[in-house]
Amino acid sequence: MTGAELTKILTLRSVWIVTGVILALHLLVSYLNVGTNIEAVRAITPDGTIELFADDPQPAGRAIIDFLVASSFQMGLFLPGLGVVIAGQEFRTSQLGQTLLAVPHRGRLIVAKAVATAVYLLFAALVVAGASTAFMYAAVRDWNPGLLVSPDAWLGQGKFVVFAVLTGLVGFAVTMIVRSTLAGVAVIVGLATVTMTQLLAAFSPALDALFPLSAGRNLLLDPVVNRLSASPVHAMAVLVAWPLVTTAVAAFLLARRDAR
Amino acid sequence: MIEISRLSKRYGAKTAVDDVSFSVRPGRVTGFLGPNGAGKSTTLRVLLGLDHPTSGTALIDGRRYRDLRHPLRTVGALLDGAGPVPERRAIDHLTWIAQSNRIPRRRVREVLDLVGLGDAAGQRVKKYSLGMGQRLGIAAALLGDPEILVLDEPVNGLDPDGIRWVRTFLREFAAGGRTVLLSSHLMTEMAETADEAVVIANGRIVARGSIEELTAGHASLETAFFALTEG
Ligand SMILES: Nc1ncnc2c1ncn2[C@@H]1O[C@H](COP(=O)(O)OP(=O)(O)OP(=O)(O)O)[C@@H](O)[C@H]1O
Ligand SMILES: [Mg+2]
Repeated sequence: MTGAELTKILTLRSVWIVTGVILALHLLVSYLNVGTNIEAVRAITPDGTIELFADDPQPAGRAIIDFLVASSFQMGLFLPGLGVVIAGQEFRTSQLGQTLLAVPHRGRLIVAKAVATAVYLLFAALVVAGASTAFMYAAVRDWNPGLLVSPDAWLGQGKFVVFAVLTGLVGFAVTMIVRSTLAGVAVIVGLATVTMTQLLAAFSPALDALFPLSAGRNLLLDPVVNRLSASPVHAMAVLVAWPLVTTAVAAFLLARRDAR
Repeated sequence: MIEISRLSKRYGAKTAVDDVSFSVRPGRVTGFLGPNGAGKSTTLRVLLGLDHPTSGTALIDGRRYRDLRHPLRTVGALLDGAGPVPERRAIDHLTWIAQSNRIPRRRVREVLDLVGLGDAAGQRVKKYSLGMGQRLGIAAALLGDPEILVLDEPVNGLDPDGIRWVRTFLREFAAGGRTVLLSSHLMTEMAETADEAVVIANGRIVARGSIEELTAGHASLETAFFALTEG
């Protein structure tokens, strides 16, 4: 059943288009940064500080890994869109009816769909992380290429991949709930706006910390340079809770509603 | 064997199906007749587990459709509200359906050839004509080589050749001891395809029996139909 759901994902052109657009954007942004990064690495001082951002000297190794993870994270903000498109195909015309004819057990269906979506999101996240690494390699290869496979780098990349899969699943589940790609996009854009503008964080960090993309920020970014709204542990709990709760609601509604 | 018993379905204040009972036996083609809005599709949607009944039951071999593990291997269905994403290729559409019910991949080719879409298998469904789309729906229904076929207006959009093919196919299918329930509002077509019929109007069953029984005392099934469904 998961195989059937994977086939649905892989044979849908809009999934490939959205994936392609996200990757192209990532490559473009990374490409625009690579020159500055090469310069900055060349200019690392003998005591090991780097200025990746002008007038902001940082310990080189840590700053480079932070930059690496942050560049993936930026694109990770778009990955819920992939979850939306994957779920939205059911409501585009009347595929949901065919899907439920094939798999009438709603619980089993939601699990199969969520697993297949997670697998595809994992693939997309790994490609993004790989591209970030390749561009950073271009910058650090003459200085310390081993940095990119250091435990800190693996940990940062791993956290990004976990974040990407979990928030992508939120996009999937929310769209199953609202039953339309467009409405799914609207919800995801709303969630992203809360995080990117840091509007809530200004007057209620505790509230901001409960939003999934903010939790991603709290998990991935460096608290020394960024104003974060919660600890990484709190962030991880929020990131896990969102897909679990939204998927459970989606399953409940799918079982309760007529298939339309 | 399909058994529908005291089935009702309301959408808000609208009663689409009202206390409907009938059964469909194997070995014959059963027509489900009624004018537009009579409740045919609603009854079939409930039978196939897509909509919840407000009350009553609809069972297939004694079980709810929802409780079948690989339902497509028992029941093949064609419904308006169940179709492909237009951007997908026909072959991919059938492939995922086959995978979902552990139906061997080669069946995909077989049913495409069977319905005459062998050459159009790689096209995106949105390029299909109305009749080709209908053939694809029939192919999906046949994929699991089911014992039971439930078809909602299968000849919609088909050319005369296609109509004749469906008629012959369904008659052979039933003659082999399998079960066919098909809805239609085309009386002449139904008179030639079905052995018996259930007539529904305004959500209620108004008559049932063999085609001969239903037509007795009328010039044709069509005039019988008007006499039964009017008023
Ligand atoms: N989702 C829905 N919400 C509200 N009313 C509905 C819904 N689906 C069907 N109905 C109503 O239920 C009644 C029966 O509809 P149904 O589609 O079952 O008729 P039908 O016999 O299949 O007609 P047709 O020959 O036109 O296909 C109609 O009055 C229709 O307006
Ligand atoms: Mg109908």
